[in-house]
Amino acid sequence: MRQASSSSTATPAKHGFEKRVADVQSPKSDINALILDYLTMEGYPNAAAKFSKEANLQPQQCESTIVARKRIKTSILTGDIESAIRALNEIDPEILEKDPPLHFELLRLQLVELIRKCNGGDINPALEFATNKLAPRAATNSEFLKALEKTMALLFFPHDALAPELKELIHPDLRQDTATKVNEAILLRQASRREAAIRELVKMRAWAEASARAKKKDLPDKLELGLYAEDSEYTDGHEPMITT
Amino acid sequence: MARIQSPPILSQIRVARSYTEQNAGLLALKDEIIGHVQRKECWVEKGILETLVANLHAVRSRSPPSFDGDGPASPAGSTRPLSDHELVELQSLQLINSFACGGPSFLPPLHAAGAVKAILSHISPAENPSQVVLTALRALANIADATRLAPPGSDDTTALSEALFKPHHVSSLYRILASGSTALVVQEQKCLVSRLISLLCRGVQQQNMLASHGILDALATILASFVVQRGEVVPGAEIMGEADGLINLIPEPAPLGADLSLTLEAISTIIADSPYRSCMLICSPAVVAVFPKLGFTPPAKETRVVWHALETSGLCNFRARTPGAMDYRLPLVPINQPRSISAHYTQFPPLGFSLSNDNLASLSVRSSSGKFMGWDTSRFDTTSVDAADEESESPLVPWLIHLIRSTDGLTRVNAASVLASLFKAGFTFPEREVAISHLVVPLLCQMLKDHDKEIPPSARNSVLLDHDTVLDWAILERTPTVLARLVADSDLLSQAAYECGAMKTVHKLLKDSYEPMPNHLEPRQWSPSPERTRGGEEGLPTCRMGPPGRIPLYAHRIKMRESSLKLAAGLISLKEEYRKNIAEQETVPYIMESLSAHPRKPRSAKEKARADKSAEDADGPNENSPYGVNPSSVILAACHVVRVLGRSVSNLRTTLEDHGVATPIFHLLRHPEAEIQVAACAAACNLVLTCSPMRERLLELGILCVLCEHARSQNPGMRLNAMWALKALVEGADHDLKKQALEELSPGWLIQLIITDTEDDALHSRMSLGADDETDQDMDTDALDDDDSYESHLANLDHIRAKSVRLQRAEVQITKLRETELNPVRKARNDDMAIQEQGLNFIRNLISSPSVPGEMVDYVFGALGQDRLFEILASKLHSKATRPYGRRNNLSDSRIVFPHAQVIEAVIYVLVNMAASIPKHRQLVIAQTKLLKLLSSHIDSNTTTVRLALCHLINNLGESEGDNDGVMSGQRAMELRKLGILAQLEELERRDASIDVRERAKSAVWKLKASAS
Repeated sequence: MRQASSSSTATPAKHGFEKRVADVQSPKSDINALILDYLTMEGYPNAAAKFSKEANLQPQQCESTIVARKRIKTSILTGDIESAIRALNEIDPEILEKDPPLHFELLRLQLVELIRKCNGGDINPALEFATNKLAPRAATNSEFLKALEKTMALLFFPHDALAPELKELIHPDLRQDTATKVNEAILLRQASRREAAIRELVKMRAWAEASARAKKKDLPDKLELGLYAEDSEYTDGHEPMITT
Repeated sequence: MARIQSPPILSQIRVARSYTEQNAGLLALKDEIIGHVQRKECWVEKGILETLVANLHAVRSRSPPSFDGDGPASPAGSTRPLSDHELVELQSLQLINSFACGGPSFLPPLHAAGAVKAILSHISPAENPSQVVLTALRALANIADATRLAPPGSDDTTALSEALFKPHHVSSLYRILASGSTALVVQEQKCLVSRLISLLCRGVQQQNMLASHGILDALATILASFVVQRGEVVPGAEIMGEADGLINLIPEPAPLGADLSLTLEAISTIIADSPYRSCMLICSPAVVAVFPKLGFTPPAKETRVVWHALETSGLCNFRARTPGAMDYRLPLVPINQPRSISAHYTQFPPLGFSLSNDNLASLSVRSSSGKFMGWDTSRFDTTSVDAADEESESPLVPWLIHLIRSTDGLTRVNAASVLASLFKAGFTFPEREVAISHLVVPLLCQMLKDHDKEIPPSARNSVLLDHDTVLDWAILERTPTVLARLVADSDLLSQAAYECGAMKTVHKLLKDSYEPMPNHLEPRQWSPSPERTRGGEEGLPTCRMGPPGRIPLYAHRIKMRESSLKLAAGLISLKEEYRKNIAEQETVPYIMESLSAHPRKPRSAKEKARADKSAEDADGPNENSPYGVNPSSVILAACHVVRVLGRSVSNLRTTLEDHGVATPIFHLLRHPEAEIQVAACAAACNLVLTCSPMRERLLELGILCVLCEHARSQNPGMRLNAMWALKALVEGADHDLKKQALEELSPGWLIQLIITDTEDDALHSRMSLGADDETDQDMDTDALDDDDSYESHLANLDHIRAKSVRLQRAEVQITKLRETELNPVRKARNDDMAIQEQGLNFIRNLISSPSVPGEMVDYVFGALGQDRLFEILASKLHSKATRPYGRRNNLSDSRIVFPHAQVIEAVIYVLVNMAASIPKHRQLVIAQTKLLKLLSSHIDSNTTTVRLALCHLINNLGESEGDNDGVMSGQRAMELRKLGILAQLEELERRDASIDVRERAKSAVWKLKASAS
């Protein structure tokens, strides 16, 4: 091993690892399946339908399922939590029933939206909602309680001058986070996994690289598909891999 | 809140003019209650449950006849839109399910409304769309889950399982499991069915029913589909399958959504510890198809060389069998400790080959060429299948071991559980015991350590658990039980577990399970309207909420008590050393508390002695004691541990005595549940021995009366254990106690116990009652009349079976085991024999009294009648025809009853003790010519102990001490010579296989000759 690494420093131009990478042939059908998987799991019904036709692949899920999932995602992203919950119950009533934290998170987001709406005006709808829907649960769980208290604090401060930890509550990222969680929860029920296979592959690659480096395996100093902030010019490195 | 709960929804649902209107109402209600416990409570109190159940029934009666909901034609369950009335059904079920998710307090109103029956009417896939079936199954599973957390008293799933496992519903379950669809909905249905089986199937009757209704075969097929999916079908299966048609039974790979762990758990629940059902699994067509018994030569030369090297050096040993492909997936386990190998190894020749004729050919190839690759023309040796007789092992066994090694979590535990069944039932090669001790037991022990984590603070007071905790707990709850089944009665495996620290683990798990819990009840949610109180007495039962349930941690703790006690009992079942060790670990206080339904703080012996002086029962039973309430399962497990602990004399004298085990066991003898009484009786057997200091205390408490009472029980198990304990009690007792025992039991009843075949008679009268009508044929065969799916499945199989020798052979084996295991006549007879044996032993112990010989013999003669006693003894020695008239054909085998060896032995020992008494009694025995003649016919018995006992008897008869006994002993010797017994003895002296018998016979012959001269 030591010998190998010393030889690698001697020939930095063409690393043995890169050569081996180049030798690996990824069958096109696998790549296509990965793409379809990504489109399906992330909720792009039209693209998935077209792609599966083009690549001559069997659709992973029927279009209506993907559409329903996408609609929920969109509802959450636009702040219409009530219809998101309704649609979610329509798809599978057990999702919220069996996942109280997720339910709580959605309801809290709904509370945030209510507070946002009443900004400066009548706070009664928000109060009533918090009292009836969130407070009963908060009493049984310290984390719920903390989250609720934090959210209620939004009522007392002007939204343009919030402390950072409160600011993140009204940031669109919260909607995005919740939407992702909901999408994952639905996927877990429908396909027994949370996310697109490509995401798992990326994670596995990161893990593999980290453990290889930890064991001081012979690797190039930098690997494409930037996983480090300083390599940001590489972040699009996976683009050509897919299109080839 | 009142604003939202507007009555319009309710009336919209109740008096809707159209399905559409009703559906709109149900939809609104769904959004209203899902995930909101408080609002569910409000709606229950408004009487919604009755309406929902009525919906299910009403729709049922209006619904058009069936269509196939889950055929391959309609995958994913969503292609065909539901009709409006089906939507009403679906939504009503979803709502009921939502209430069931609310927890145990919703169970009483759900049951009162008859929800279970309504749900069950929707699980048939032939009559309902797949979504509806799915929701119905979910609701059942949630009700079963909630029941587990219900307060003591209502946490019993018996009612639910009895409702579900009716022939009609079981055939629905079969259809679901056997469906060929790969749709996710169907896979989830299959998972739920497996879960329901694991949660609810209890008792031999239900297990047999599920096995005979094809459920086991269907599950085995799913298991086989995982073998295919993992690419682990035995090489050559296709070739074999093409030859006999089994190739069509090799299933498709397991589809997405199928669950291996749940499948294994359901299989293990059904087969439990029954050889018959284990055999059904092994011989299930799909399993036979993917696991043919084929020899295999691995392509890698290195592998062969290693195996060969180990084999020739004697470190591993495959004796008569050719290793199959699956064997090569396991590491070789050297057998290097022949001393630790348990007894049944001895029937195999020590190391080296001993081949049956069938295999001689392959041996000659191997030995003549001097190479291991005798058959490399084809990798698999199809000829060896002919040699694959009943004794050979299915590749399922090595596959399971491989699976255990290559998976983790619950899959591993459940695979080990199935393996334990096969191992216990004797379907594994003997050398697998070593493999299991090296490859499986350490893994299981390690799992117990790895998953035993700090309880997360959130779990201490909440019904909410994170996924990891749920998994850890499930593994902790199941693993000890599996391990206990593996190690019980195996020296090698219990040693392996012990060396892996299982004893320490038991102590820790048991100790943790008694950590005080200030709160077991599920926390109440805060309510904005404080005046609302829960579950008042007013209102209809369907509208009244039940008491709150327990938190999951509580159920986990109780389950841990049960499973760690089981592991404790398994570990110490054989070795005295481990029994001592468990006492040293200070585990005993926890075992003692487990004997009580209302445990208190576990205390060491010293603390206990101090505390007992102050106040015995200061605090009465308390539902909310921090130690919870022990259900019967825990008490039973604890009784079993006490019984095994009591096998050690030193434990009897120290640990058990110090912890005062006598009192709780005595109280359990009077427990309302028969099962616990039986277990307590078994535990008492050891406690009443003369070497036990607890004997006096138990006698003071009045154990004699209780045991005599139990000896009259209807329950054969109870009679047996009670007689066993009585026998132990009178052994070496003083004469007063012996007389008292006989009086208390009453001589008449004792004779009754010994002479009548109570169980056999009872069975006969039960059967002849039902003999006239045809229904008594066989419960399960005619119950399936309405179900064509299983029938057609069977017919299909028959077709293949006609072609396949493998399946025919399997069928023969199953039938044989079925006969041994399920024949009620056989069971009744065995029960009778066991009780009679103990009755005779009781007499033996009564009359044996080395200190004052003779007195007790006379007393027993007086009580039972001298001639009567000899008559009874004689009657036990000859085979007899039972009920020669009016026999039913299918019971023909019960016509002639041969006496069991144990009973013969017991009879002989009664006589041995008589003959050991004063000369007068010796004379009495020798005068029983008829009896002696009968005995002489047993002198060539197959059972060594019988021959030994006979030699013992003759030794005693040849005894010549006492006044003018010399003359009489000469007469006795003459008599024995006349009966031909002397000649028979000389034969034994010369020929017998057992050295004990030869020695004993030698001394008897010498005595007889000496007296005669």
